[in-house]
Amino acid sequence: MGCGGLTLPWGTRISTVEGGGDSRVASSEGQGQQGPGGAGNPDDVAIAALCLAGDLEGYERLYRWQGTRMKNLARHLLGTQSDAEDAVQETFLKVQRNMASFRGQSSFVTWTFRILVNTCHDLRRSRVRRKEHAHGESDALPPSLEPRAAVAHPALRLALERAMVRLTRHQRDVFLLYEVEGFRHSEIAGMLEITEAASKNTLFQAKKNLRSMLEPPTSKAREAGR
Amino acid sequence: MNITCQDRDRIFQHGTPEDWTGLELHAESCAKCSEELLAWKNLSVAAGEMGEEGDSPLLWARIETALREQTASGTRPDWLWQRLENWASHSVGWQAALAGTIVLALAIWGGYSHWGRVDRTDRNVALLKSPALRDVENSEHAYEQAIEHLAAEAKPQLENAESPLAASYREKLMVLDGAIDELRMQAGQNPSNAHLRRQLLAMYQEKQQTLQDVLEIKR
Repeated sequence: MGCGGLTLPWGTRISTVEGGGDSRVASSEGQGQQGPGGAGNPDDVAIAALCLAGDLEGYERLYRWQGTRMKNLARHLLGTQSDAEDAVQETFLKVQRNMASFRGQSSFVTWTFRILVNTCHDLRRSRVRRKEHAHGESDALPPSLEPRAAVAHPALRLALERAMVRLTRHQRDVFLLYEVEGFRHSEIAGMLEITEAASKNTLFQAKKNLRSMLEPPTSKAREAGR
Repeated sequence: MNITCQDRDRIFQHGTPEDWTGLELHAESCAKCSEELLAWKNLSVAAGEMGEEGDSPLLWARIETALREQTASGTRPDWLWQRLENWASHSVGWQAALAGTIVLALAIWGGYSHWGRVDRTDRNVALLKSPALRDVENSEHAYEQAIEHLAAEAKPQLENAESPLAASYREKLMVLDGAIDELRMQAGQNPSNAHLRRQLLAMYQEKQQTLQDVLEIKR
């Protein structure tokens, strides 16, 4: 697998936000804190109740609370802002259509994100098929992302975005949900219908693959020489 | 805690906070672990920056309008159709197979309704009575087992092939399995609902046809 141009400046010391970077590195699972995905959050229950009653305020509150995050995830899965917005809109419509089947076995946010992930994959599949029909060839890779606003470490992020395209779909989903969107493994397990252990293993494999793809050539040569 | 280089991957995968502290201490005196730890953390930091997203001020208005329109038109119980809609962009062959299944299901439904009108005065035509239900469940079980045998036969072909066509078959079977599971769950809650049983039959038939198509490729 080629990795030209993906070298990450590993030597760069990045100052992490207080407790932020490390908390996503070191395990903080199972310590009783409230999950970002709404598990145990009274808002989650209240919003679900409003939506179940058919009150549009519930959907608006859900959008204000999680809309940015939903768009962000959709954008990383689909590649463009406009596709991401379509996916978020379609997700809200599906949530409304299927509210009666929400059983409360997971948090409402977790359930919503499960629908979002599936919607994004459906959209991507149909887009790939349309491309196949149009060009008569396969294009299974997700599209590269549109240019983004400037950030503190643009080279690092650009390299990461390019490398993520080469992960398996499952690895990319877990990596995005955990590292980018900040969900806990227990929440990701609910969204992707896998076990927590599988979520942890997949994240590990994803990061290992990314590490390998982004490794500086000198390190690789050194490893090979051993 | 005595942490060595061999513990590094385990800690990256599912280490406790104490393990991480131990690894940090170990990394102070181990260049390789120090490099790996820094790289591992940098991945998280870079990923964290991907979370920043610009606002889309008009999106909520768009969603709200769509939700209102959907409410006005009446929500339809389309959990099944949502999945099937994704097959709209499939090849003509698959669309034809799906159309055939729908026609078959409609034919069965039509025949059943007609037969019910002729032979029954019972107003609950759509409800299966318990002896009939037993027959249906037995037949379903036998049919399901037969399809599982077919699935076992097609499994190596599906798992080993890397072609886009095989991937599409795998995805289609996953969708069908999901639909079958949901229908079975609903049928379990409402076992006498003949409509659900017919939908389930249609899904089984579609699965059978798909598996046969897979085996056809093999030949």
